[in-house]
Amino acid sequence: MTHSHKILLVLGLFFCIASIKSQNLLVEAESFENPGGWVVDPQFVEQMGSPYLMAHGMGEKVKNATTKVSFDKAGQYHTWVRTMNWAPGDWEAPGKFRLKVANEVLEKTLGRRSGWGWEYVGLANIDKAKKVPLELIDLTGFNGRCDAIYFSTTKEEPPTSPKKLAEWRKTVKSETNGPEETKTYDLVVVGGGIAGCAASIAAAEQGLKVALIHDRPLLGGNASSEIRVHTEGIYGNFERILKMLDTEHYPNGHVDAEIDQEKRDNNVKSYDNIDLFLNWRAYDAKAENNIIKYVDARQTATGERKRFTAPYFVDSTGDGWIGFWSGAEFSYGRESADTYGETWEEHGELWSPKVPDNAVMGSSVLWGSKEMESPQEFPEVPWAMPVAKDYSKVKGEWQWEFSRNDLSQIEDAEEIRDHMLRAIYGSFSNAKKEPENVNRKLEWVSYLVGKRESRRLVGDHIFTFKDAVNEIKFPDAVVVEKRAIDVHYQTILEDERNPDFISEALFYRGIQYYIPYRSLYSKNINNLFMAGRNFSCSHIGLGGPRVMRTTGQMGAAVGFAASLCKKYDVNPRDIYKGYLPEYLELIEEQKYRKIPESKK
Amino acid sequence: MKLVKAFLFMLVVCLGRAQFPLPVPTLNGVQEGIMDRPPEFYTMGWEKGLQLVARETGMFIEVDSIGQQDIALLEDREQQPVLYTSEIETPVCADGECKLMHIRLYWTLLGDYAGFDRYPQQPLTKHDHDEFVQADYLKLHQLLLDDKSIFRQRKIDELVKKPSPSDHGDVDALSGATIAEVKESVVSGALYSCYVAWHLVHGEISGKLKEHTLALLDKELILRMLQNDDPDYQMFALEKLDKVEYLGHLERLAGIFKSSIPLVRGYIIKNLPEEFWRDPAVQVPFWDAFSTIDINSRSLMLEHLEEAPKSSIVDISIKLGSMTKNQLRAFLDFLAERNNEGEIIENLKVFANRDNEVYAYLVLQFLEGYKQ
Repeated sequence: MTHSHKILLVLGLFFCIASIKSQNLLVEAESFENPGGWVVDPQFVEQMGSPYLMAHGMGEKVKNATTKVSFDKAGQYHTWVRTMNWAPGDWEAPGKFRLKVANEVLEKTLGRRSGWGWEYVGLANIDKAKKVPLELIDLTGFNGRCDAIYFSTTKEEPPTSPKKLAEWRKTVKSETNGPEETKTYDLVVVGGGIAGCAASIAAAEQGLKVALIHDRPLLGGNASSEIRVHTEGIYGNFERILKMLDTEHYPNGHVDAEIDQEKRDNNVKSYDNIDLFLNWRAYDAKAENNIIKYVDARQTATGERKRFTAPYFVDSTGDGWIGFWSGAEFSYGRESADTYGETWEEHGELWSPKVPDNAVMGSSVLWGSKEMESPQEFPEVPWAMPVAKDYSKVKGEWQWEFSRNDLSQIEDAEEIRDHMLRAIYGSFSNAKKEPENVNRKLEWVSYLVGKRESRRLVGDHIFTFKDAVNEIKFPDAVVVEKRAIDVHYQTILEDERNPDFISEALFYRGIQYYIPYRSLYSKNINNLFMAGRNFSCSHIGLGGPRVMRTTGQMGAAVGFAASLCKKYDVNPRDIYKGYLPEYLELIEEQKYRKIPESKK
Repeated sequence: MKLVKAFLFMLVVCLGRAQFPLPVPTLNGVQEGIMDRPPEFYTMGWEKGLQLVARETGMFIEVDSIGQQDIALLEDREQQPVLYTSEIETPVCADGECKLMHIRLYWTLLGDYAGFDRYPQQPLTKHDHDEFVQADYLKLHQLLLDDKSIFRQRKIDELVKKPSPSDHGDVDALSGATIAEVKESVVSGALYSCYVAWHLVHGEISGKLKEHTLALLDKELILRMLQNDDPDYQMFALEKLDKVEYLGHLERLAGIFKSSIPLVRGYIIKNLPEEFWRDPAVQVPFWDAFSTIDINSRSLMLEHLEEAPKSSIVDISIKLGSMTKNQLRAFLDFLAERNNEGEIIENLKVFANRDNEVYAYLVLQFLEGYKQ
């Protein structure tokens, strides 16, 4: 997007309701021209309504975010900021900031209200209407957040409830129902984790024109240098493709993730027939007669929208959003042990419950610190201590995981992330009080939620523990894995003195198991594939194949299936019913193709 | 060379066994065959006056180059089974050098680790031959308590090798976390002894002991487990009781519900029969615990608001601060659909006006839209 486009967009945010003669301007924080040290966080759009800017400074104030906006008229404007105190309680809010308008810092300290909503800042004097500078001034370095700034000549606060706010936003922005631009592809892949990347490459290699839509600037999802989980599992038939995408076996959270990041991004970008939409987040999918017609997506900073049409779609969003919006059947939580015969007596209820429930494996937020040559200060974090308690650590690995039965890994992901941030800052604060850590400094804390489990879309086959234990070699086996079934639970379930953000893993070791192609397309949405943790499986069935070489295998498998769908103009299910030998042959061939030097 | 050393060691062991009987355990509490005090390192309860006597079980642990180590069942005066035990003598070998480890192990009736006694004359030693100090024994006890230790997954030689970043193809290479976990959980300088002890406790014998108990199992034993404070016994008993028996032991279930771990609480709520939820009076002790139980259990209780006693709904309205945001939302959603007592609305108003309540705004929003 060019600079002139951005200015146009900001101008586009301006609106005027002549009948009541008030002047109003809504500025979306994520569209600031220069975010400074603030980061754009689009993870929770479906819940709180918009991407937002966050001052993720790990305890050090971040550089100001700046932009310029134009008003229709000069004058005095009532000003509100949409924000949230992310750790409210009997202490100073952790993420405080101020707003500077036209070179005047407004007095009100922001970021102090419970729950997302508008904080009244005060009256701003706008002497000259054009190119008025705005700045967000971080005061703490601890994740202050700003969704939007609203100026109005009348003191009428915008709505708070998510539904009313969404309607209000559309009015303010004069936004039509659908995007103006439509792009058409052979295959639209939503979600650029390892599965989505592998699906895109496999399909592109077979000549399909592919759109890969991903809501981050970097590819790889949990394996990206923004989350830093190393890839595990085997390559199956897809070593050539997966080696373009995977990671070394560095410790989780390690900075070496950046090396693999460059390799991955370059490899995906090297395919001419993959149109890569980085920083675009899908927000809707429409199906008619069980066929998805389009997916709508929005640029996470500018708000620009596009519609993507295709005969076939891959849901590799992890949370199964495309399936969810289009009406695909899905499951969430733990099935009863009897549902699919998944009892494992050794671990009883921790493994598979007698009565089903909504417990799932949790999300991780990885982090680390480093030794410096001189003493390092770390502020007091009273707002973190109710979570961290006396836990004391200098880094966090996979065991730093949070799940609780009143929290949905999808709907409450922001609260889950924030809980982990409190756990991290509090535990590090405890560690800093120990003499040996006087020179320690936080090096990196992710602000992205690394999810393990969320919606599981239902396919023609639901992959379960039994399939793995019995090592069933399905006629349509397209993914193979040797890694143990690895199901996590929160250790607080066994002892309330344990921190609620630490998990334990239960391992079932078999020899080798297979995932059938029928678990990789939707049972009721006829042109929808899925790859990644939202494939068709039970809670326990997910325990093994949720790791990223395995999900990458799923992606590659559906990419090749999509190419045959196009070749014969049929739907995913038809490949299983009528074209399986050809499909399996295509997959078998992959074993023997060499990896080009340029893509290693 | 290592093999020769090991062979010589085994020879000495065998000769030693031929010449001397097994050492007499210390035996903290073992007098003339009666055990009247708990093991020195012990995780279960020990009732005052409890005396245990050993009975043969025919079970044993096979120890390399030493042979069978018999396992006894310890029974109380009423001949009810209480613990399993074995006097273990086993070689611990590292880098081709072996030494003997003596320890008396105890298991619960479910085959889980219960504790150990040391032999003062034959203390455990580290790799450098230093003797264990008290803190080392305590650390060993903690390690043995962890039935999901990393030791379950790993061979000993995997735990002493540090992975290099070049182990690219090795998906089982250890992560930094694993190395740190091992370092934190074992007695410093005694990795091999810890590893051997852990596998003795949690090895195949664990399942065999449980099988042995299952063969002895009767209603009396199940109910004794239900009365026990150990959450594993409680869970085992709860899984063996049917719906009618749940209703027959509600007092004990309420006691467990208040004092046990979240896993057991959750199991109770999810498995209480429909008859229980149809009778508000019997639910009262469970709802009384609402504000003190863990969050997960509270969420499960909230699924039964429709069946709860009216008095408990009023009580909860006084304790709104004990709920998480989503729990409070669920409670308010429930209230929105019923005719509420004036007392409840008053309680909500008090809460909504408190400055220090994080979620007061939710209650305020509710009250704004509430019509009696």
